[in-house]
Amino acid sequence: MDKQGNVVTAHGLQTVDLGKEYPGTVALDGVSVAFEGGQVHALIGKNGAGKSTLVKIFAGAVPPTRGRILVDGRDVVLRSPADAFAKGIATVYQELSLVPELTVAENILLGRLPRQAGLGGWIIDWPEVFARARAVLANLQVDLDVRRPAAELGVAEQQIVEIAKAMSFDPSVLMLDEPTSALAQAETSHLFALLRNLAARGVAILYITHRLQELRRIADTVTVLRDGRHVGTIAIADATPQRLVEMMFGEVVQKERPSDLEAGDRPVLEVRRLGRRGSFHDVSFTLRGGEILGIAGMLGSGRTELLRALFGADPYDTGEILIEGRPVRAASPERMKHLGVAFTPENRQAQALVQMLSTRANVCLASLDRIARRGFLTRARERTVVGRLVERLAILAPDIEQPVSSLSGGNQQKVVVAKWLNTDPRVILFDEPTRGIDVQAKQQIFQIMWDLGRQGISCLFVSSELEELLEVCHRILIMKKGTIVGEVRPEGVAVDELLARCMEV
Amino acid sequence: MAIVLLVLCAALAVRAEGFFTVENLLNVVRNVSMQGVIAFGMTMVIISGEIDLSVGSAVAFSGCLAAWVTGFLAGPAVGLPMPWAILAAVLASLGAGLAVGSFTGFLRVRFRVPTFITTLAWMTMLKGAAELITNGFPLMPFPAWYSFMGAGRLWGVPAPAIIFFATFVVIQVLMGYTSFGRAIYAVGGNAEAARLSGINVGRVKVLVMGLVAGLAAMSGLMLSSQIMQGTAGTAKGWELDVIAAVIIGGTSLMGGSGTVWGTLIGIVFMGVLANGMTLLNISEYWQHVVQGALILAAVLINVAPSRKR
Repeated sequence: MDKQGNVVTAHGLQTVDLGKEYPGTVALDGVSVAFEGGQVHALIGKNGAGKSTLVKIFAGAVPPTRGRILVDGRDVVLRSPADAFAKGIATVYQELSLVPELTVAENILLGRLPRQAGLGGWIIDWPEVFARARAVLANLQVDLDVRRPAAELGVAEQQIVEIAKAMSFDPSVLMLDEPTSALAQAETSHLFALLRNLAARGVAILYITHRLQELRRIADTVTVLRDGRHVGTIAIADATPQRLVEMMFGEVVQKERPSDLEAGDRPVLEVRRLGRRGSFHDVSFTLRGGEILGIAGMLGSGRTELLRALFGADPYDTGEILIEGRPVRAASPERMKHLGVAFTPENRQAQALVQMLSTRANVCLASLDRIARRGFLTRARERTVVGRLVERLAILAPDIEQPVSSLSGGNQQKVVVAKWLNTDPRVILFDEPTRGIDVQAKQQIFQIMWDLGRQGISCLFVSSELEELLEVCHRILIMKKGTIVGEVRPEGVAVDELLARCMEV
Repeated sequence: MAIVLLVLCAALAVRAEGFFTVENLLNVVRNVSMQGVIAFGMTMVIISGEIDLSVGSAVAFSGCLAAWVTGFLAGPAVGLPMPWAILAAVLASLGAGLAVGSFTGFLRVRFRVPTFITTLAWMTMLKGAAELITNGFPLMPFPAWYSFMGAGRLWGVPAPAIIFFATFVVIQVLMGYTSFGRAIYAVGGNAEAARLSGINVGRVKVLVMGLVAGLAAMSGLMLSSQIMQGTAGTAKGWELDVIAAVIIGGTSLMGGSGTVWGTLIGIVFMGVLANGMTLLNISEYWQHVVQGALILAAVLINVAPSRKR
């Protein structure tokens, strides 16, 4: 790396001493890094490392306070997202931004629809619109009907349309933020093939992710940020999990699976032939006291629907649920809560927390009647309760009166867990609890689950990351196409075997 | 907003003749009392993410119903002693209010009918019902002592003002110091998250809608006591004044945020403004323009800081 800032990369993206300061914090502190065209570069770092700030700067959403950005060897100033696209940096965000009612073609050419010559250029040239859109997709070797409304496409296809839209600007740099977080395994493979194709044409691909296990499959280099600084860029061959975690955190944090994990004998939750038309059918299993039961399966296998039905959030058509041996009548979230069942939804921000309310209010949300004496409660009482839970779960929340949206993903998830712990639950249903959380926070969540197990509280753990299930659970159920097809013990199975069983036809 | 109010009062104390007297200030409070009690209920409604457009008509209907019931029960057909008739009338009015509001809430919860639509319908239906009951003429069955609620004084303080402050205290405590109040904020902030946290969202909505309609009914009784009759043409446009007061007080129409204190300041502010403009001999038409402009200004003041990111 040339410290004088001499141009190193003729094709691709480079920064020299890039910095971003906000009043009171330094988000980026002199980052100098180069991303060569023709390769896939992974960008990783824990929450708060400066990754999102760097992405926002590259996307043109936020200006740097110092430093230079070079695209294909030339200095650029990015004034706005549109400007970034125009200067060769295209971004595909984690939350897809397609307009659902418009067609694929309109989405790809959004804002740039070709007009008919004459008539003052007011009228859109529809044949040209569809022709150009088809050309863009053909270029990516993708086959989609450009006339379909975007809302009809599945998540993976929508993402491809987003990538097509980005590529139609003919960029030098393509930046993808957590692209696989909503994809199933097969779709991920398609995406990676597409990205390698694009890289082969000379595009510099910047790939931001939390999923370290994916890197081997797609990345050529790995760049690590920590505390706003560039810790290093290494070739994928050198990027062992230990090395990466060391670079991200400065120390190895992964804990060994505790040896004192013993599930009890007493059945706490029994499910008999539970079914909901269109979502799942004939589901039966038993969850014992202090047990951590995992449910593995691909996207669409019905796991979230099952959990929601168990919590009473959605109705079910057949079968029954028994808590401590007694059947449940008229399940609803309120009822299940009283019976000792808790639920952490998959969509943390929209379903598990009230973003505009304070951390304190959110922690008390499920236990208001408990905290109140005959209906009355004060902030002081709430604060006492919240203080205890914040300490117990090591939640990093400097001011619990601030909106919970100000906390990082990992801490928000701990707030959700804290909320339910205060209801004195017997069973907690976790739906993808580690989504969008960095490695260290994940370990903390697992530690919490193990502690709960020791206290006799049972956990049902749904996750798409099979390694996690193998690390944490006593037993794992395999769910496919809406029903349970098998059960394994972590000791007796390897990741690829488990994956195969989840996918087998 | 409180600062603006103080500034306004100071300015009026200096410029307007007779503003800063005990008599006038009590006047202001008495004038705002009847809309004020509704405004406190409306605060709860808006924070919970709903709206009630029918409160004006509910006031008129409530007064007319009370008058009719009184006249019927104390009249030749039934011949109840007046106090019993009045009691029945009061209970009937309050009961009708609670029923109407709860029904609105029920439609919202069970059939997902937006409260905007239902209360819009009630707005015309209740007005029509009031006109039906009175046949277009004011009903005047009330005994002289009935005027106490609307025009009487207790230790020198107008009775409506006492009811106003009592309602304020009750609702302030309800919103700030009970689990029910916390639940209202949660439901307004994110109803689905509240539901998935085991809060009975349906119960909250039905209760809140019932409460505001009940308060409107109470206000209607206060008004009928003040004018000593049940007339269908009263309280025209009150819903807009009430909602304006709530918004000026800092509550967001999106739900999930706002305070009862804010509404208190909002309603007093509007009362002081109207009173001041009258004392300064500003025409009534200008008063309307100023009021409207103020609502906009209040929203901008409240929204601007949170927009700066």
